Parts: sequence; C-alpha cells; structure tokens
Amino acid sequence: MRRTLSLWLPQLPLDRRIRLGDARTEGAFAIVAEIRNAWRLTHLSDAAREAGLSAGLSLADARAICPSLLTEPADPVREEILLRALWRWADQFSPRVSLDPPDGLLLDIAGCAHLFGGEPEMAATIHERAADLRIMARVGIADTKGAAAALARFGPELATIAAPGNSASALEALPLAALGLDPALVTDLRRTGLQTIGQLYAVKSSELARRFGLGLTSALERSLGRTPDPVTPKSADPVYAARATLPDPIGLQDDLERIILRLADSVCTRLQTAGCGARRYRLTVRPVDGPDAIMTIGFARPGAAPAAVLQQFRTPLDKLRLEFGADFFRLVAESVEPLHPRQTGFDRRDERQDDRTDLISTLGNRLGFDRVRIYAAVDSHLPELEFTTLEAMDRPDAPVWTPSPRARPLRLYNPPEYLRVETPGRPPLRFEWRRRLYETACATGPERLAGEWWRDGDARLRDYWRVETREGPRLWLLTWPGAATPDWFVAGRFP
Amino acid sequence: MRTKADLTRLQTVAAAQLAGTTSHGEIRVARPVRLARGRVHEVRGDGADIFVLAAAAAATGPLFWIGAAREMNTLAPTGLQGFVDPARLVLTAGLTRAETLWAGEQALRSRAAPCVIIELQDGPDLRESRRLQIAAEESGAIGLVILHGRARTSAAETRWSCEAAAGGGWVWICTKAKRGTPGAWRVSALGKHHAPDLVPLAASATA
Repeated sequence: MRRTLSLWLPQLPLDRRIRLGDARTEGAFAIVAEIRNAWRLTHLSDAAREAGLSAGLSLADARAICPSLLTEPADPVREEILLRALWRWADQFSPRVSLDPPDGLLLDIAGCAHLFGGEPEMAATIHERAADLRIMARVGIADTKGAAAALARFGPELATIAAPGNSASALEALPLAALGLDPALVTDLRRTGLQTIGQLYAVKSSELARRFGLGLTSALERSLGRTPDPVTPKSADPVYAARATLPDPIGLQDDLERIILRLADSVCTRLQTAGCGARRYRLTVRPVDGPDAIMTIGFARPGAAPAAVLQQFRTPLDKLRLEFGADFFRLVAESVEPLHPRQTGFDRRDERQDDRTDLISTLGNRLGFDRVRIYAAVDSHLPELEFTTLEAMDRPDAPVWTPSPRARPLRLYNPPEYLRVETPGRPPLRFEWRRRLYETACATGPERLAGEWWRDGDARLRDYWRVETREGPRLWLLTWPGAATPDWFVAGRFP
Repeated sequence: MRTKADLTRLQTVAAAQLAGTTSHGEIRVARPVRLARGRVHEVRGDGADIFVLAAAAAATGPLFWIGAAREMNTLAPTGLQGFVDPARLVLTAGLTRAETLWAGEQALRSRAAPCVIIELQDGPDLRESRRLQIAAEESGAIGLVILHGRARTSAAETRWSCEAAAGGGWVWICTKAKRGTPGAWRVSALGKHHAPDLVPLAASATA
C-alpha cells in the first residue's frame, strides 16, 4: 500500500524573511510579485491579514486600505534555494522525497510512519521540526499524491489524514480547486453548478471528459488512485563544498593561500572520488568587519586539481582588501561534470592540449571568458557571414575548420569603410581612404553577390572589385550596382 | 677558493647566454630570413600581417593572437586559411594596453603556444619589452609584436618593416637585428603551396 505525505509550505517567502530576522514581519508586511501587469500581494503577515488585506490584492489598493503596509518583492531564486534545502532536510522522514514547486514537497512514507509512532505522530514531528526552523507547514497524508496535496492545501486542520483506501470520502467535501486544475477550468465547472469534488463522483467520466476535456478526468483518476501516480524521488545533487571557520581572523597572503589549498584539497578529493571535475569554483571570504567577498574562477575544462584552483584564485585574492582579516571561508565547486580520464600518449600532444586549456582559463579568469575566442566556419556565401567566433571555454578542443572555397581578404572591414572618389571610374581610378591617396593600377572583378534575400535585412546586390594600387596595398572595393552615382567602400584588404 | 668545476660551469652559462639564438632554435620564414625562438620580434607596416603569418605557418601548435578588440574584429579566417589553419587560432581581446601586454606575457610564458602574436598601437618600451622577452625566453616561444603606430627603443631581437610592393609581392626590411645583419628583401608568392622567393634588395638596409 502506497502512502504519500504532502508537505505544503503556505508562506515560504514570508518565512524566508522571518528566518533572516527581518523586523518588518512583525507588523503589517507583505511579499509582492508582478502578476498580470500589476504588483500584487502574494503572502501576508498576520498583522496585514488583520488589517483586512488578502492575497491577490493589488499593491495600490492594499496601500489605500492599510497605509502602514511594508512590502518586499518576491525572490523566486532564493525561495527555490530554500525549498531545495528543505528537500534535503526532509529526507530524515522518508528516503523518497520529491519537489513539488513552488512551495511543496511530496514524501513517499510507505513503511516509514511506524518509525515515528504512526501517521499522526509523524505529522506532529514534522510540524515540530519545521517550527524549529521557523517555517510554517501544512501536512496532508493520503494514498495518492493528488489527494495528499489536496488535503494539505484545503484540509480542515494543519495535518489532515485520510485513512488508507478512504481518499474518495476524504476529498468529497473539498472544493474543485483542490485538484490542482487550471483556474479557467475551475471557473467553467463552477458555472455548471459543480462546487466540490464529491459532486464529480456522480457524473459519468465520459461525460466529464466530453464537456471539460481529459485533463479533469485524469486529475480525478490520479487523485483517487485509479491510475498510478507514484512519487518519483530524485536524489539531491551532491554539493561539493568545504568551509573553514577560524577562531582568530587571518589576513596574510600565505595564510589565506594555505587555507584555500586545504579547502580545495577537501573539495577536489571528493570530486575525484566521484569521478567528477568542476568548471567553476566560488570562494566566499567573510572579513570580520565587512560584507562577504565572493570570488569566482572558471576553467576551460572540468578539473579537480587543488593546485590549479589555488593558482587561479591568486589574482582575485591579490585584489582583496582585508583590513582586519577574515575568519570564514567557503569553497564551492559549481558546474560539476564527469571527468573523462585520458590515455597518456607517447607524444606531447595531450600535454600541449592541457597547456592550451590552462592558458585559456588563466586569460579568461582575468579578462572574461567572452574575450577568449576561437573561429568557427559558418555556411554562407557572404564574406562577413562566412565565419563566427565562439567562446574558447566551451570548446576545449579546437574545432575543425572548413575552408572557404573563395579567395578572401586577410582583413575584412565590417561595416565597410567609405572612400572618397577623386577620379571616378569603375572601380574609381583615384581615391582617398584613411587620409591617403591611392591610384588604381589594375582591377579584377566584379564579383557580384546577391544578399540573403530569404532573410530579413540587406538583400541588395553587391559588386566586389579586387584593386591593386600603385602605392602597394591591394584592396577589396565594394559598391552596390544600380545607383546613378555609386558610392564606393573598402570592404577588406588582401595581404 | 673557486674550484675548476665552478669555473667550467660559469663558462658554460656564459656561453649559453652569448649564444642565445641557438638555445631554443629558430624558425625559418624563408631561406635567408630566420627568426630566433625564445625571442620577441617586432613587425611594422602594412604588410606586417603577412610576415607574421609566414612565421606562424612555420611553427606548429596553437596560435594565440592577442590585441585590442577593434583590430581583432577585422581579422578574417577566410583570408587566413591560405597560410595557417584558422582552427589553430585563439583570439584574445584586451580592453587596455596593459591587459594586452599582460595576456601576451602569460601566453608567452605558458608553453602552450609556440607562437604568440601581439597587436599593439605603439611599440612596447624598454621595460615592457624586457618582460615579454623574459617570458619568451622561459618557454622558448616566439613572440611577434605587430605595431600599428611607432616603434620605441625596445629589447626586441629584430624589427621588421613590411610593405606591400606595387605590382605584387612585398618588401621586407630588417631595420634592427641584435645578432645579425639588417637587410632588405623583395618577397613574392608567399603561401602554403609556393616556396617563398626572396630577392635581396641591395643597399637599402639601414641598421
């Protein structure tokens, strides 16, 4: 027999503020979010509720009702991090826990409840431990996920338990919204006079499906356990992190490096045991007298070498100003990827490849990884679209270059540079470019290219001329045919 | 008192320093034109690109091209492909001159790239070029500095002035050579499939 416990955290964003020690939560306080082009209240403190506010009210209206209302915008990213932390916390109750975003958890508690002395006692334990974390929780226990979630959200008490095999009667009195349906569908159902889940039992499911679609019937079937809907637990991603808290602050470069090397050792050993490497490492340093300093370094290839991590952290550490020292350090490995061991060759090719990625990491960490790039060929006939550049970090091994079939200049000016015609001609006989006069000695062309008419943008014809000048430089001139007095441009320069 | 062994060691060190060009070998751009590895060379003029590419084609392995974003964006791999495989290139854009020089020094020191190309507006001064030179000496990489502006007194091994010649080909003038004699050459038909053809230009060299 499957038993599912749904843990609903009705005011998770508010609880997050409370846990941060936000004093505003004592008074009229609300979390707001932008919903349907207006800032609306989503979660309210008790005082705000007493003042007559409710969730879903627009912020302007709420301010009119309660002028002393204080608000804070919702922070979905941090709330998700908190939910994930609670997900890991919940494995003390059951080994099979899954997320039910944005504010719920689902626990498969078959065979677990007796460890806490039964289901009601288990629910009480959960309440107690959540209260220790200053988080409000509601619990529903039933045979199926849908029923448990409905009981947690709409049940009469903080912990509502449906006896095994009793889901249908437990859900009977709950409103239709408890099935987790689309709000528009709930409104439709309400128009036909259906209010509670119990009223649906009397209607044939084929009729329901014909009138309201399969979504409604399948939700009902799943909630009542007629179609299987198991909890699919996902084990939490392991966190590769290490921290050091020192009794006294340190500030000397050598001491800092020693601490970081120790942290890196611990993190990298665990990464290596798991056969993984990380592309990014983040170091948090907490000075005794100021806010945290957070430094991030990246690698062109996932790695787990403590010495390399320290090496890359040296530059940002140099810039760090520690007046009175720091006493807290935390190193986290991010973007963890499996490490593929390689056969060491007899030649120096692999070694050289390693050197190349190391250098890309060093350059990227200081200049930014978007500034270290490699070329990649693109299939196009227009000279400026024949190639592109990619970040070298994403492609640790050099890509294969597909040569372009046409002779192209070494330097390509995009956009092309305007030239002033002195003696007209086709191409001009004498012209001025970059404040120097040139005289055409011989010209070959035109090479006529059509624009990419199948795309938006410039689809005009272009004529390219290869011009050798008496002064030496060999230029690539561009004009658009068809104009009465054609403008000429320098599109590139041949070697 | 100094022993004989000490003296011999001193002599070998001195010899190695004197024969700096041979400690890392050299690359042959064309038959008379050789560039020492582990050194920094400066190239000026309109035809600097082609000189640098001819040198890069003679080396193997990754090729780091470092410069300001403005100049890097005009480089076209479709044009480079006749000389070097564009897949070898790693482009690095520095926002400031200091960043470009730092990146160049790192690349020269790292042993990853046997050939590093640095594009600068004005030439490196004595201090900057010494740093590049020491980095290059450590790894044995060859550093090629393209100058768009003027050159300054520097520690570069050689300095070249390269211009496209009217009627095809280029003129390469070696204006400074620490361990050799300056000279001038007229070069025609450079490329992957053509053997470069160098004709010395008489008496146009200036030291």
